Amino acid sequence: MGHYLLRRLPSALVVLAIASFGIFALVRMVPGDPVSSLAGPDATPEARAAIRADLGLDQPLVTQYVHWLGRLAHGDFGTSYRIGGQVKDLVADGAVNTIVLTVTALLLAAIVALVASVLAVVLDNRWVNAALSFGNTLAIALPTFVTGLVLILLFAVVFPVLPAGGTPPDGFLARPDIAAQYLLLPAVCLALGAGAALTRFLTEALRTELRQPYVTTARALGIPRRRIVLTQALRNALPSAVTVLGIQFGTLLGGAVLVEAIFTWPGLGGLIEEAISGRDYPLVQVLLLLSVVVFVAIQLLTDVIHAWLDPRVRIGGAS
Amino acid sequence: MTDPEGTTVTTPLLEVTDLAISFSHPRPAVRSVSVTVDEGEVVALVGESGSGKSMTARAVIGLLPDGAKATGSVRLRGEELLGLPEPELIRYRGRRVAMVFQEPQTALNPVRTIGWQIGEALRAHGGVRGKAARARAVDLLREVEIPDPEERLGYYPHQLSGGQKQRVVLALALANEPELLLADEPTTALDVTVQAEILALLRRIRDRTGTSILIITHNMGVVAHLADRVVVLRQGEVVEEAATRDLFADPRHAYTRQLLAAVPRLPGPDERVHAVTDDDVPAVAADAVAALEYDDVRVHYGSRMRGRVLPAVDGVTLRLERGQVLGLVGESGSGKTTLGRLAAGLVPLAGGSVRVGGEDLVRARGQRRVDLRRRLAFVHQDPEASLDPRFSIAEAIREPLDVHAVGSRKDRDVRVTELLDAVRLPASFARRRPRELSGGQRQRVALARALTLDPELLIADEPTSALDVSVQAEVLELFADLQQRLGFACVFISHDLAVVNKVADQVAVLRAGRVVESGSAARVFGAPTHDYTRQLLAAVPVPDPTVRDATGPALREQHIAS
Repeated sequence: MGHYLLRRLPSALVVLAIASFGIFALVRMVPGDPVSSLAGPDATPEARAAIRADLGLDQPLVTQYVHWLGRLAHGDFGTSYRIGGQVKDLVADGAVNTIVLTVTALLLAAIVALVASVLAVVLDNRWVNAALSFGNTLAIALPTFVTGLVLILLFAVVFPVLPAGGTPPDGFLARPDIAAQYLLLPAVCLALGAGAALTRFLTEALRTELRQPYVTTARALGIPRRRIVLTQALRNALPSAVTVLGIQFGTLLGGAVLVEAIFTWPGLGGLIEEAISGRDYPLVQVLLLLSVVVFVAIQLLTDVIHAWLDPRVRIGGAS
Repeated sequence: MTDPEGTTVTTPLLEVTDLAISFSHPRPAVRSVSVTVDEGEVVALVGESGSGKSMTARAVIGLLPDGAKATGSVRLRGEELLGLPEPELIRYRGRRVAMVFQEPQTALNPVRTIGWQIGEALRAHGGVRGKAARARAVDLLREVEIPDPEERLGYYPHQLSGGQKQRVVLALALANEPELLLADEPTTALDVTVQAEILALLRRIRDRTGTSILIITHNMGVVAHLADRVVVLRQGEVVEEAATRDLFADPRHAYTRQLLAAVPRLPGPDERVHAVTDDDVPAVAADAVAALEYDDVRVHYGSRMRGRVLPAVDGVTLRLERGQVLGLVGESGSGKTTLGRLAAGLVPLAGGSVRVGGEDLVRARGQRRVDLRRRLAFVHQDPEASLDPRFSIAEAIREPLDVHAVGSRKDRDVRVTELLDAVRLPASFARRRPRELSGGQRQRVALARALTLDPELLIADEPTSALDVSVQAEVLELFADLQQRLGFACVFISHDLAVVNKVADQVAVLRAGRVVESGSAARVFGAPTHDYTRQLLAAVPVPDPTVRDATGPALREQHIAS
């Protein structure tokens, strides 16, 4: 397993290197620059030049890039142009909230998909399938801001049982029960789309597995169909489902920006919006690079889980 | 069992009466089939594709595809099975009736160990658990003659060879000591030597446990080797039923005679004695250019970086004269397909050289390569996969002419008609699509398409392996006729020694990427000098039940667990 991971690592590092340059270049290609947004419309050319020199933006691009990488390597993420303060601290505060939210949503999506698709395949009932397919389509079709508002209206206004937004006042660990109440609505809102997509994928994967010859072998041995689904088909469908889940994580990270805005969840979403509109280069770069790092790490993780679940990857064949 | 008068009446173990199976499709899959299997008997259901033999077996175990309607009766020791609801059928499946399938590569769950899968089969009928189940699993693997059974329990299917997988499938079927074993083409996907072992194993299991076997097969050799009684099916109906010896000695029905006549045969052991012994390589002028020449050819698979280099072809030197047919025979992994693809320059060469008509195709580049490619053509195994379903037959045949811009549009159409005529298909087929044709007709189209540009060299990779025997016989005859008339050289790749014997002038026997023996077909098959060739020839099930008793014990001795 360690050997397998080691073989994947170089390509992951290459992806990160390319991404870092892409991000650096992209941020500077966006029209507008931090100098005008910092100096204001009435600044003299001298004042602008001073700010430019101060931020190091008068240097050649390559020099800027190398300096940025050098500082990153030493753990120096730079200071924000507009908000002020260390980028490291700004990101750290929001990152915890966003990660808690997306990971909860990911787990929710995975559990819902697992239960729904296994039910659909085991029961194999027309009405159950129709209901699931209806729910699925709805969950995929409705945009996040609609489901978010409906959830708030239902569970915080009409039946006021859950908080409408914000994070638990004492953090996530002090009172897990209260934290769960705060997490529930935004996590459900974020998980809906991913969960529906995953349910659809897993249901189809299970049905495909049930058409495989090994299932016929099992049925010819007198093993009940339900047992075959649970102990054999699911085990074969899981590896590819895990890969899909890993890709869904990227969608979840993107979706979190919106969900955080609806539920006033102080995560990285707000920070990204603020940083991009202010052309706050150091902050934008770190935020984007962070999401790439997280995504690449998740891909590596799904590859490892995939290999662990599939003996054909894990153990070389004799034939 | 005793009837009211006190005389003993034996109820057959399995009694299928007037079985009919239909789908929404107008033609029923099975029209009327009646079969009985007695205690300890081996009965063969024989027929070509579409005869309904597999459907009959599936009806017995209650595993018909969705939407199938079955009428008639299927009785096991007098108990009706047809129409039983699933929960009751489950109690029969695996415990009283078990089934073995054709394709061992996919019949086992790839992500569960062998031990787990046997355990699951035992658990299904509330049998032994824990330590006792493990002991039983070891016994079962021993029964199907798998070496080191304790260790193999922890193996996954992909760690076993095809023959071993089929043994495991057999162990699963035998787990709950069924009274009846259904075997649906159990050796069709296996190499001949492995097939011989599995057939011998099936006979031993019957002798040891008294399990009755209903074997479904298209292979007359398998029938002769294993069955006590034969039921011949054609288009969902029984055309003839007889004891095996009688059927082969005196087939009553015209269809049975046709089926037996279509089976390609190898020279028998007694004929071999009188066979040619001199290696009669056709006399050729020393400076004549060969149609195809392999000179110390090497091909590797896998990458050096990962540290796993597997030689697929390991120093092969062969020469094919113009207008001759070279048969490449060998089991899976012998490198025969790689050699064929090499002739077309489709495989990177690791060493040596390949010359087509004296020219090095592998190293040729650009237009030169395109021109050289024109001189050769390919016919693949599966005509269903090798023809584009959206092309009409005319378009498929004309495509090589279009690609190489040969003649005017009108000339090309004329050529298409000529070719259809050459492969004995009516000109009206030109506008049809591949799906409207039968397998044999599709393979004729593939042959026509290959001959479009008048190739000097044809590479045919298992061209008749996907066809029924009677269709195979027609296609082989057509092929031999065209080869005589057009005079192209041909590399004929096949695992079927009898087919190669029928068409090839020269034969090369391959094993693990090396040529073990080569020479004229009559000499290699008639008087083989290498042990491996003799082994291969001995393993082919001879379509003659009188031979089986002579060769049976020999097979038993040379049994090597694959």
